[in-house]
Amino acid sequence: MDEIDKKILNILQKEFPLTAQPFLVVAEKCGISEEETLKRVQKMKDEGIIRRIGAVFDGAKLGRVSTLCAARVPEDKIDNFVKVVNAHKGVTHNYRRDHDYNIWFTVSAANADELAAFLNNLKEKTGVTDILDMRAVKTFKINASFDI
Amino acid sequence: MNDLELSVAQIVQKEIEITSRPFEKIAKELNLPEAQIIDIINYFCSEGLIRKFGAVLRHQKAGFNKNALVIWSVPELQINKIGEAFASLPFVSHCYERNPAFAGRYNLFTMVHSRDKDIRALVSSMSFLSGIGNFMILKSLQEYKKSSPEYF
Repeated sequence: MDEIDKKILNILQKEFPLTAQPFLVVAEKCGISEEETLKRVQKMKDEGIIRRIGAVFDGAKLGRVSTLCAARVPEDKIDNFVKVVNAHKGVTHNYRRDHDYNIWFTVSAANADELAAFLNNLKEKTGVTDILDMRAVKTFKINASFDI
Repeated sequence: MNDLELSVAQIVQKEIEITSRPFEKIAKELNLPEAQIIDIINYFCSEGLIRKFGAVLRHQKAGFNKNALVIWSVPELQINKIGEAFASLPFVSHCYERNPAFAGRYNLFTMVHSRDKDIRALVSSMSFLSGIGNFMILKSLQEYKKSSPEYF
């Protein structure tokens, strides 16, 4: 990544031009051609630096509920537990963390009932019953942008 | 959301193509004018349904290879002030008050990211700034899933 790539990334994250030829606007801001901009963006996508270019919808604004769960999972049950958790579409993050509560994941659901059903089903399917459900009651920051 | 808006949402929640006229591609697919696609996206943004439109990065690959979930035990009366103070820090990407608190006391949750500085040094500065000495750093040992949500 050179300085131009970094500038492109910052523009694409923070001020994506919602116009017919967005990459032309980015190109002009960086003093390069549209063709070169597209080539650089495609390369950063191929390398995995850019996950995707698109919309980030606000789940809460759409009336959805979400939570952070922490589960205490015995070592021999981890593989199956992770498989069942990850298979759920509403799970977007799932990490092993350095604690007795060793598996931490976020779930989004259309409503509270759907969320409760998922958690009950998860407990039944995996035999893991110690799962904390910590709802966000106040959001101070939720920001997927990084200064590159 | 009407059917038209829903079909646009279903596409842009995933991704647009890296091409000169990405919205023209969507327009052709849905048999609508290009300008209308852009109008609908702008409408979603102005209504706050879309929080952000643009590139979503894999922060590790973008050089932010250190990150941790750091949780804080904050007295209820101070939570707004400290939550906002943490939120203003550039290396904090997420900050929430959660209920119930973890372990009965950790009620403020922050995600801390760093390019080169040690996470512990950043957390120390947060502790100093807030006066909160009761916190826990939960490093990730393994990533099992990290994806973008699909709501539609």
